[in-house]
Amino acid sequence: MASAGSHKNIELLTYSEVMEVSGYVGNFKVKIKKKPRYVDESKCTGCGTCQEKCPIKVDNEFDLGLGKRKAIYTPFPQAVPNVPVIDRDHCTYFLRGKCRACERFCETKAIDFEQKEQTLEVEVGCIILTTGFDSFDPTPMTQFGYGRYDNVITSLQFERMTNASGPTGGKIVLKDGTEPRSIAILHCIGSRDVNYHEYCSRVCCMHSLKFAHIIREKIPDAVIYDLYIDLRCFGKGYEEFYNRLQEEGVNFIRGRAGEVTDVAETPEERGKLIVVCEDTLISRQRRLPVDMVILSVALEPRADVAETAKLFSISRSRDGFFLEKHPKLDPVATTTEGVLIAGCCQGPKDIPDTVAQASAAAARAMAIITKGSVEIEPTTAFIDEKLCSGCRTCISLCPYNAISFNEDKKVSVINEAMCKGCGTCAAACPSGAITARHFTTEQIMSELEGVLI
Amino acid sequence: MSFEPRIVGFMCNWCAYAAADLAGTARKKYPPNVRIVRVMCSGRVEPALILKAFELGADGVLVCG
Repeated sequence: MASAGSHKNIELLTYSEVMEVSGYVGNFKVKIKKKPRYVDESKCTGCGTCQEKCPIKVDNEFDLGLGKRKAIYTPFPQAVPNVPVIDRDHCTYFLRGKCRACERFCETKAIDFEQKEQTLEVEVGCIILTTGFDSFDPTPMTQFGYGRYDNVITSLQFERMTNASGPTGGKIVLKDGTEPRSIAILHCIGSRDVNYHEYCSRVCCMHSLKFAHIIREKIPDAVIYDLYIDLRCFGKGYEEFYNRLQEEGVNFIRGRAGEVTDVAETPEERGKLIVVCEDTLISRQRRLPVDMVILSVALEPRADVAETAKLFSISRSRDGFFLEKHPKLDPVATTTEGVLIAGCCQGPKDIPDTVAQASAAAARAMAIITKGSVEIEPTTAFIDEKLCSGCRTCISLCPYNAISFNEDKKVSVINEAMCKGCGTCAAACPSGAITARHFTTEQIMSELEGVLI
Repeated sequence: MSFEPRIVGFMCNWCAYAAADLAGTARKKYPPNVRIVRVMCSGRVEPALILKAFELGADGVLVCG
């Protein structure tokens, strides 16, 4: 990200939102809302003094409730650009009109409370969407007690915990600050489950194995359980990693956990979380007393995926992710020409796959724009000017806004670059002036004769 | 002999036709009574096409999209 930020041909617009997209491949017009961060990017050196001096502390979203941040903050340690933003909803100055501590201590005078929202309009040839995923909230799965028991955490929370720049400085700790002696990792939480997401999230097996490895490294004598349905270690070097973990003494149990409870049945279980499961390899019910439970949660489409899909006029598949043009032959393109997708917004995938898909999307975008012209499908509609009465019925019906009205000639005109050849206009035209190429009325009539006679 | 209807199915290229195609690649079976006519969109199907199908002896017309 840092090298993208400093590249001369790349302009990063962070803390911004796309409001409107119009046009078509090669000629997109995109309206972008640039939100005010109340810090002048050109003056800020990223020294961090403002964050030290800010008196307000709130929960850090990036640490998922495990740590705190200030009301002026950089969202995460490697953020590009390294410029903080003021959180209006918590800043004392915005709430009560007093404080301005950050402004007082800023040596380069970069704080600007007067910054306003800006709207930019850019012209682009291609659009690549890489909007990512949301992680599944396991609260509705009450049997696992997430939110009820302090030491039941999600995979992402554990990830933050093991991060050296995270809220615990890389230490694995229980809510009371002590080190856990035993940990259970539960796979497929919300994935491969007809009640939540039927698909496999693909990354959880490997990150669960990584967690087991990190625990073994940081707490060498910890008892680790991995409860899985199937272990899907499909990538290069992945199976070898799994074998290595078996040698490291991780207990792999084939079986889905049924419940996490704190109701002890024996003295050893007292004060512990008990994971109840069936070990399907020995066909026996088991109760595993542990100190900490990690839920390897599913990857799911972002909460605003429907609006984003509508904004860029692309489709979504049944699972909610953006739909590619063809799952095998065209996995980065969409049905809207010039709009490409990469990464988890298309479906759950790991980092190597994301990098490969993103590189493919970038190469595809280059191929489209450097060519200077676009090839379009031959299935478009055209209007016979002599027959068009200028009633404009077609204009209101076109789902791709490809038809406009020529005021001089008083006829409708189809933009062939935008036309997808759906033929709705041809079906609706009262004067029969529109022909849908390759799907003309005569052609369909003859086809009917072919299938029925 | 039992009655076997002849049904014409106008199917949208992007969804219903793709689904029928997928059924084929997944080796799922459906009765041969449905004769599929691909259109680029179910919006392309004008009343005249449906009437023509009935005129030619179809017992039912399915517009999917």
